[in-house]
Amino acid sequence: MSGLILRQKHSVAERLNTSGLTPAKLVALSAYDIAQLKVGSSKTDLRLGDVFDISGTAGDIVTIEGTGAALDFAGAGLDAGTLRIDGPAGAYAGQGMSGGRLEITGNAGNYLAAGLTGGLIVVQGSAGDNIGGVLSGQRFGMMGGTVVVGGNIGARAGDKMRRGTIIVRGKTGTNAGTRMLGGTIWAEGGFGLDPGFMMRRGTLIGPSVERMLPTFADCGRHDLLILRILARYFKETLGDLAPRPLGAFARRIAGDMATIGKGEILLPAA
Amino acid sequence: MSEPGTNAKIINGVTVDDTFAEAFGMSGTGMVITADTMKWARIAAVTATGFGTSVIGCGAECGIDREMSPEETPDGRPGVRVLMFGFSPEALIPQVKNRVGQCVLTSPGSACFASVDAPLKIGLGQGPRFFGDGNQTAKKLGDRRYWRVPVMDGEFVIEETVGVTTEAVGGGNLLIIGRDRAGLLETTEAAVEAIAKVNDVITPFPGGIVRSGSKVGSKYKGMFASSNDAFCPTIRGAVKSELGPGTIAVLEIVIDGLTSKSVADAMRVGLKAVTDTGAARGVTRVSAGNYGGKLGAHHYHLKDLIA
Repeated sequence: MSGLILRQKHSVAERLNTSGLTPAKLVALSAYDIAQLKVGSSKTDLRLGDVFDISGTAGDIVTIEGTGAALDFAGAGLDAGTLRIDGPAGAYAGQGMSGGRLEITGNAGNYLAAGLTGGLIVVQGSAGDNIGGVLSGQRFGMMGGTVVVGGNIGARAGDKMRRGTIIVRGKTGTNAGTRMLGGTIWAEGGFGLDPGFMMRRGTLIGPSVERMLPTFADCGRHDLLILRILARYFKETLGDLAPRPLGAFARRIAGDMATIGKGEILLPAA
Repeated sequence: MSEPGTNAKIINGVTVDDTFAEAFGMSGTGMVITADTMKWARIAAVTATGFGTSVIGCGAECGIDREMSPEETPDGRPGVRVLMFGFSPEALIPQVKNRVGQCVLTSPGSACFASVDAPLKIGLGQGPRFFGDGNQTAKKLGDRRYWRVPVMDGEFVIEETVGVTTEAVGGGNLLIIGRDRAGLLETTEAAVEAIAKVNDVITPFPGGIVRSGSKVGSKYKGMFASSNDAFCPTIRGAVKSELGPGTIAVLEIVIDGLTSKSVADAMRVGLKAVTDTGAARGVTRVSAGNYGGKLGAHHYHLKDLIA
């Protein structure tokens, strides 16, 4: 792959903060300045050049190779171009991202896509808790963009999520869509316990729910046009990453009726 | 007497006047109406564009641009694209709201999507969504927001806004003149069918044809327009007529388009359809309506449109 390549030289005893390593930022810096960027999270004052071999030319693509799960804030603030993590990523990957593409070939940690407003995040492995969730001190979780996770995800995905889409090939953990305000979580492997806890609006789509909250109301089997629109939109924008369509008819379960009840869980109609 | 102009051309026996159609800048918008079947998409589209012949009396000029296959529409169902034209974006707001609210929302199985992309937006579902009485929900995909309004046959899905172009043109026209009323109508119908194949244009009058062409003003107070007496055959001996001996009828095609080019393209194919087959059906001449070139910004000279 062309572009700038950062290969981790050796493991370090502290977590690395790579929040500034976006293509747009790096392309404006000299090789020396890139090497001097702070990536440490302790008093050791680790610089990029201390930890990574830097090769290639800065452009639209930045690849980080040989990392461990201690690489936090990967792609944070990304607004254009592609950042590829060839391996796992730690917490807060894609935080505040507004555009571009973040690819993680391994697993991702907690708070993936927190504060996401645009762009695409693709995780080939699984991801931790609070994907697209709200951060402390913030009003909303994810507010736009798309996240595609190849494996499973942890608990409370989409906590206070307002817009955007989370697509999961595997299964979600407990309380997916908790306090959700909008947007879509599409779990091809189904939902874990109690999805949609206190959700006000938004859509959860999947083949099954491990346990349904009693505050969700079955509205019956319907041919929902919005499912066709979603399927077509995802096919056009995501191509092969698009989720499998649910089928012509869906069972619509409205909730959480403990709040305003304008959210919904869509399951295949029997 | 007939005044085709000194540089009139004769094409396949039909005289094409050395004149021009004078058209006006307008604001235009468009939407795709889908339904479970093309029959119902068409019913909704025809209803929504009804009483939309002239902006003066109807508030907007409306019509069907084309039918769309399921592959072309946002929801994968058959659809019909309709266009609406008005004097200004502000004038289109109540027209779109009322027509969609009364004629599309009410039509079984319908959905409504924006079909003009422009920086200037007006409400499309912003009014009809309130029909949901608080049970409506929205879904934003990319930069488009769709409203889902619960109705008795499921959900009415409608996009929140639609673009408005101020580059639209209204009033492109052809005047088709003949000595056989039935043959003239058949020929004009063929021209309308040819124009229907051009994208981004409508012919807003009944069947795409107007028989009561107008001139600006009237002898009567309060009338903005009145009969184009120079093209009325039954009084050709009594007024300053544009019609020659033998003429018994004139039909007009009025064309509105989202762009000036689309109007010119439509006039070109319409003119060709007339000159290709018109002579055998009693068509003698094609002219165009103008106001001396002083009122409208867009002039379409027939000689430039001869294919």
